[in-house]
Amino acid sequence: MDYPKLVELIPREKRRNTADKLVDIILSSKNDNKMPSDLAKIILYQWQQNLLTSELGLSALLKVAVLLEQEKTLTVLGELQLYEIADKIEGEV
Amino acid sequence: MVKFGIEFVPKEPFWKITYYAVQAERGGFSNLWITDHFNNRNVYVALTAAAIYTNKITLGPGVTNPYMVSPVFTAQAVATLNELAPARVVLGIGAGDKTTLASVGVEMRKPLTAVKEAVNIIRKMTSGENVVFEGGVFQIAGAKFFFKPRGRIPIYIGAQGPKMLALAGKIGDGVLINACHPKDIEYAVNCVKEGIYEVGKQFSELDVAAYTSFSVHEDLRKAKKAAVPVVAFIVAGSPSQVLERHEIDLKKAEEIREALKASDWGRAFGAVSPEMIGAFSVCGTPEMCVERINQLLKSGISQFVVGSPIGPKVRAAISLIREKIIPSFST
Repeated sequence: MDYPKLVELIPREKRRNTADKLVDIILSSKNDNKMPSDLAKIILYQWQQNLLTSELGLSALLKVAVLLEQEKTLTVLGELQLYEIADKIEGEV
Repeated sequence: MVKFGIEFVPKEPFWKITYYAVQAERGGFSNLWITDHFNNRNVYVALTAAAIYTNKITLGPGVTNPYMVSPVFTAQAVATLNELAPARVVLGIGAGDKTTLASVGVEMRKPLTAVKEAVNIIRKMTSGENVVFEGGVFQIAGAKFFFKPRGRIPIYIGAQGPKMLALAGKIGDGVLINACHPKDIEYAVNCVKEGIYEVGKQFSELDVAAYTSFSVHEDLRKAKKAAVPVVAFIVAGSPSQVLERHEIDLKKAEEIREALKASDWGRAFGAVSPEMIGAFSVCGTPEMCVERINQLLKSGISQFVVGSPIGPKVRAAISLIREKIIPSFST
């Protein structure tokens, strides 16, 4: 899945809210063991630099959210009316 | 002005704790404490990750003990961490928990002596001295680092009993008082003062921290629900004189103890009363928490540590503390 391409589909005004909701999904997940260490470090670096709404930050968040909690992520994308992204993710898995 | 500290338990993976650590640093917390239990992830690995991604928050184990971890190793760990985060490292050390130590076959022998000697050894090692030590608990034939430690590391004593509290006053740079209720904090601070005055120090020289079980939410029921499991374990582990001080039914406490032993969580948590929550946690809406912190401040504490569970959702709770609690104490 090309996550940076998916992130391009998120309108600017929705980026902050999307990042916020994805962070919630990731931090609330019980599937800690599925977190890839390299992506964890990318997310922490982007968080440290206040760049979680950047394309790199959002790509990492989206990828991890799908890995850890696919169903919840699709629901949130639906709530945010990011249907195209949700469809693409669903079609891929 | 009171400082705010926050405690994390490395039952959570490093990335969650580190995320929260960055959030806490931005939110105005000055201290980050990470617990040390053999059955969780390693405290120094968690601290290292947090140190890498933060810039100013003071951090350290809260608390380690000298039985499971040799004071020599603890000195090495904090001295190394202090290279990664210069002047940001502190060490919390206490006697540990008897039951946990017993589960790995470690005897809690002479706890006061052990903590006192450990502090002595750690101070000498982190000063770069060659340590030759003949104590009641520890013997060291000659130990010195092959590297030069950077600066002094403040040592906080984790204490509950009157003798350990007094010892903290005597030898500590700070004390971590495991209590939540104004009555308990007041009693503890008086014990600390006895130790302080015995050695001719000033009370203001010591950072006195109330290390609390904390739960905040705008909805009181949700805050309480999150606090219940932690309070159940505190009640089960409290001696009867502490329970009596808070007029807690000893039979109820025994019921919780037995239910926890049998892993009957529903019965254990169901037996937790509002009085128990009031005695063993700082719990409620932000306004209620501010009120309780104000009561604790009257005893002279200089740091308020927000400990587990923090709130039903940690990230949201940290935001709430930043927005509605810390600002009440910033002037």
